[in-house]
Amino acid sequence: MIDPMQLLHQRDGRLTRELLLEPGGFGLGRVPAKVKPDATTNMVCGYCSTGCSLKVHLKNGEAINLSPNTDYPVNLGMACPKGWEALTVLDAPDRATTPLLKDASGHQRPVDWPTALTAFVDNFKAIQEKHGKESVAFISTGQMATEEMALLGSVAKFGMGIKHGDGNTRQCMATAVVAYKQAFGFDAPPYTYQDFEESDVLVLVGSNLCLAHPIMWERVMRNKNKPEIIVVDPRFTETAMSATQHLAIAPKSDMDLFYGIARILIEHDWLDHDFIAQHTNGFAEFAEFVSTFTIERVTALTGLTEAAIRKFAETIHSGKRVSFWWTMGVNQSHQGVRTAQALINLALMTGNIGRPGTGANSITGQCNAMGSRLFSNTTNLLGGHDFGNPAHRAKVAGILNIDEAVIPNEASWAYNEILEGVLRGKIKGLWVICTNPAHSWIHQTQCRDILERLDYLVVQDMYHTTETAQYADLVLPAAGWGEKDGTLINSERRHGVIKKVRRAPGQALSDFSIFRLIADAWGCGDMFKEWTSPEAAFRIMQQLSEDQPCDITGIQGYEMLDAAGGVQWPFTKANELEELGLSAGDDGFNTPASQPAQRRLFADGRFCHADGRAKFIFEMPKTMPEPPSDRYPFILLTGRGTASQWHTQTRTSKSDVLRKLYPERIYVEINPADSRRLGIRSGEQVLITSQRGELDATAFITPSVQPGQIFIPMHYESANRLTDAVFDPYSKQPSYKACAANVMKK
Amino acid sequence: MPATRESVPVGSAEEQHPSAEIAFGSTPSVAPFKRPMTLLDVLLTDQHDLSAVERFSIEHAADVLPAQAKYYSRLIPASPPGPGQQYAFDVDLDRCSGCKACVAACHSLNGLDANETWRDVGLLVGGTTSAPVLQHVTMACHHCIDPGCLKGCPVNAYEKDPITGIVRHLDDQCFGCQYCTLACPYDVPKFHADKGIVRKCDMCSSRLAVGEAPACVQACPHEAISIRIVDQRQIVEDAEAALFLPAAPDSQLTLPTTTYRTRRVLPKNMLPADYHAATAQHPHWPLIVMLVLTQLSVGAFLTGLWLESRLDATLMAAVRPLHSVSALLFGLMALAASTMHLGRPQYAFRAVIGLKHSWLSREIVAFGVFAGLAKLYAAGNWFGPSVLPIPPLVLHWIGWGVGISGLVGVGCSVMIYAVTRRALWEFPHTVTRFGLTTGLLGLTATWLTLLVLNASGVTAAETVIANSGRRLCVGILVFATAKLVWEASVFRHLLSRNNPPLKRSATLMTGPLARVTFARFAFGICGGILVPALLLNTLTRDQVTPLSLTLQVGFIFVASLVGELLERFLFFATVAAPRMPGNVR
Repeated sequence: MIDPMQLLHQRDGRLTRELLLEPGGFGLGRVPAKVKPDATTNMVCGYCSTGCSLKVHLKNGEAINLSPNTDYPVNLGMACPKGWEALTVLDAPDRATTPLLKDASGHQRPVDWPTALTAFVDNFKAIQEKHGKESVAFISTGQMATEEMALLGSVAKFGMGIKHGDGNTRQCMATAVVAYKQAFGFDAPPYTYQDFEESDVLVLVGSNLCLAHPIMWERVMRNKNKPEIIVVDPRFTETAMSATQHLAIAPKSDMDLFYGIARILIEHDWLDHDFIAQHTNGFAEFAEFVSTFTIERVTALTGLTEAAIRKFAETIHSGKRVSFWWTMGVNQSHQGVRTAQALINLALMTGNIGRPGTGANSITGQCNAMGSRLFSNTTNLLGGHDFGNPAHRAKVAGILNIDEAVIPNEASWAYNEILEGVLRGKIKGLWVICTNPAHSWIHQTQCRDILERLDYLVVQDMYHTTETAQYADLVLPAAGWGEKDGTLINSERRHGVIKKVRRAPGQALSDFSIFRLIADAWGCGDMFKEWTSPEAAFRIMQQLSEDQPCDITGIQGYEMLDAAGGVQWPFTKANELEELGLSAGDDGFNTPASQPAQRRLFADGRFCHADGRAKFIFEMPKTMPEPPSDRYPFILLTGRGTASQWHTQTRTSKSDVLRKLYPERIYVEINPADSRRLGIRSGEQVLITSQRGELDATAFITPSVQPGQIFIPMHYESANRLTDAVFDPYSKQPSYKACAANVMKK
Repeated sequence: MPATRESVPVGSAEEQHPSAEIAFGSTPSVAPFKRPMTLLDVLLTDQHDLSAVERFSIEHAADVLPAQAKYYSRLIPASPPGPGQQYAFDVDLDRCSGCKACVAACHSLNGLDANETWRDVGLLVGGTTSAPVLQHVTMACHHCIDPGCLKGCPVNAYEKDPITGIVRHLDDQCFGCQYCTLACPYDVPKFHADKGIVRKCDMCSSRLAVGEAPACVQACPHEAISIRIVDQRQIVEDAEAALFLPAAPDSQLTLPTTTYRTRRVLPKNMLPADYHAATAQHPHWPLIVMLVLTQLSVGAFLTGLWLESRLDATLMAAVRPLHSVSALLFGLMALAASTMHLGRPQYAFRAVIGLKHSWLSREIVAFGVFAGLAKLYAAGNWFGPSVLPIPPLVLHWIGWGVGISGLVGVGCSVMIYAVTRRALWEFPHTVTRFGLTTGLLGLTATWLTLLVLNASGVTAAETVIANSGRRLCVGILVFATAKLVWEASVFRHLLSRNNPPLKRSATLMTGPLARVTFARFAFGICGGILVPALLLNTLTRDQVTPLSLTLQVGFIFVASLVGELLERFLFFATVAAPRMPGNVR
């Protein structure tokens, strides 16, 4: 019997119950009843290098929802929208579910794995036979598990005889790697995230933490020391908005600024003489060098006022715990390495390193950039070793139980050199894994031309629709984050576990499994018979790390990483026995009472060079490679658009929620003074040109860019049509951040 | 766990498969073939085995308290609100960095559908090049003291909790009229087409009830969102002083309770990032048809009454049956269209319960009465006293009842849009449009009746045309001209230096919707001015032929109707909805 009142005014029913919340258990609080878990498990996120831990809600062993892990020492219960939506993008309809092989008519057709593997082996072997082993190369990634990187690097170089392989980490971290190696003797970011909370002065250079690393910004916001936050960035970013000092320097004048600051510090004797004397080399030469960076020179080059520059220097001097942080604004530069070292020099000369709240700290880009740096077997031999060092080769050969002769005695070409190799006819076959050069590489038109010139292109990816996959002769379907096991290493050197909590669609396989299949099909499977699982590979990696600064021999396995909330390297067998913890600072600073393990480097002032000392490295700054001209009077800046977008958007564009959170179409930020002059109104379509190409974008008029500068987010496909293929000479990292461009009303 | 649980040992692949050639006999899909598994088989099987995660999942099992409470306990009130108080969102703008985690968390922790979000983050931009300001603003339902959604809802699907002040939507009561989506100045209720209802933020009331924080509060990495207890009287006072948020809709409308606080001094030139964006709104086609045809129907009945007052009863007796029936048919078509706008039309009857406060409810009831009386009136006239013995005087008064209830209905239609306070829908605009449409289409519909009767050889029609035809033409000319001039007057806002709502409407009409605008004025001018003037001329010179009458009247009716439908399309599509600051799209 239907209650007539209920018919007229129905307070409850099927629709109401759809949104019912129930206690979720597992420490979760209330969760939607329809996705109430029967178990949970923690794993680190697979987007950026922050390395947040996510608590995955499971039902019948499969992930149905997630929420940030409350107790993980990185993210303390928080995540950015990408993390919250990490499972959604696994369900996209354009997931690669079978291998795709290009047929005679040029169409990619689904094939089975044996056919795909045969095509892979036959084509690459044929190229190698005709053009030499070096004619096949690979481009890998900072987005897959360390174990997968290590297996790829080993199979490709030791099994297949490939000489040249590099990763997309070239686009994000190469500069920091070289800067650290030269200055400290090892690629060793010295900090722990707790330093964000323990500084009293934070200097952020070319780093928009608020959008690029929102969870690191969480840690800054938790700083109880009322810190001075100095942001050095040509743009007025969200982070600049929260800064106490924003130095809107002229693009690419940062090195001049830091040399000028060094001169002021020396001039006032605001130095840590003991530290300089005991732990560094080359200070006298450095002091001599920067003496020419007078305040007049620096104000002229940077466009900053003398007062602003002096205040910056004074703030560094007055700070007791000063930390210097940099991101892509420094790394993606024609002189990134020396700029990063200019920051390292400031930390060294003021003794701001090795103590809580200090450091010269590179904030990494991708979730496993650090894994790539240490274990991808590209620039470094496995485990941060040197291809050129016979002892290292012997050590690696011994651990892997392979013939030492198969280990090349020099490092690979860098990414740009591999692409140039294609142009020069040296590289004929390319294997692209988990990255999207046809969108992300600098000077895109040229990059696409290069991809078309290849005799054979294999793309291994989660999605068959990436811009690069469109060019592929063979697409290999990969399982994604959440569909496979392994570990990632975050910006603060923390190893964290990823787990298989979803079934990969169709025939898609983890990259680890694909590499095993390829090794098997290639005929070198026996060389890697010990690499039976990611965890087995992890144990091999541990042996490889022994006695290196990145020693992780003390880690007992994935369970330990999981239970300990990740482990920061180094973690030696000796560390394993120690009680891990952090004592409160002795200078009256706020250190939260119960901190999980926080591990910094260089607390003893011993660096990784043979003499234990850090080096002051410096060089005369060069002018911007492509300054504005009459035809191209604007400087084009590029960078991250929103916290909801990740790089080329192969994943983030697959979530309805994330799509709502970022601008649908490519836009360009223009200063009101320029837009008035050009008669451009906000919301209008404008044409942006550079010497290399053009694109249409929606004008967004904002005073957050300086007059004469424009900003375009990198996530939109056409952005890199404009960028200029210029590279740092030491790190070979592309200089995405500044080129000449023009803006025209359409 | 799945049934295969026992057959798949927990552990890494290595432990299961010491070599690639392992016989994996217990796997059902492979066992019958009795062949050794290849490496590919092993890897594919392993790829779909999720049991290994069990190793890690045990530690949580005993845990029941929300672990996250240690972060958010300070961010929610310890005790419920007292009299005159309520819960409210409190946003520290200085801590909102624009990461938008709150939006995603709300989505995940409330189990919303794939493309459904209840929270949003907008951007305000201002200042100067030397001192720019970027201010991200997180927003959801403001749980207003005088909620537009609740007042407008014809079926009482909204409740304001007497203790917490939370404005809750009763999903099972909603019949999907979407009027709340027009009535809320903050674009909070979102229509869910698949479900046929609207859903919205309820401040996670069931979480707050047990001491847990709403999803957004739990998830903000910077603790920018909290729940505080506010004094409702204070909210009213703050609304007087317009303290809510720069560039937000006037808080007088609904008295939103969210507090936006900042220690910064925001510059006066703060504008939303989407300030210049001109995006057409949803046109609501069923509503377009419903409004235009109800107005036509009411207008036709009113024109009939006017003719009654000036013409001989015997003449009208010949005109009345067809005229009332055709007017009724248009009215019934309108009501049929209106139900197509409802997400769940089977619950249309619920509309009676909102009569006290909802103009939509009143409209539905008024047009219900109108339709009932009109059916009676038309039937009485069509079948005559031999079939339906209604005394002529009663029928006469029923006719007046039809006209009055129809006018009341049109009046309610006007109020539905007027109370949203959208500039293009303000009372003068809407009453002028709807009133003139009623007059114009009523006259054209009457002409159509006369044309049909005339063509059928009813001599009375000829007499009526001779007697009143010119007046009917003049009426059309006057109504159409007045209406077109009124509509065109919105273009003067294009001269405005800033971007007020009416300029947005005019920009849409001349920009993205320029073709529709052109068509609207073309049909309006031809059907309401040029051809009626021609007809007037023909009638004045007494040169009427059946063919010219058919062509001219037919054209006038069709062109005017199409013109009015297009006008109503623009009415919906070009209205600038009040909104919170948005983003670059």
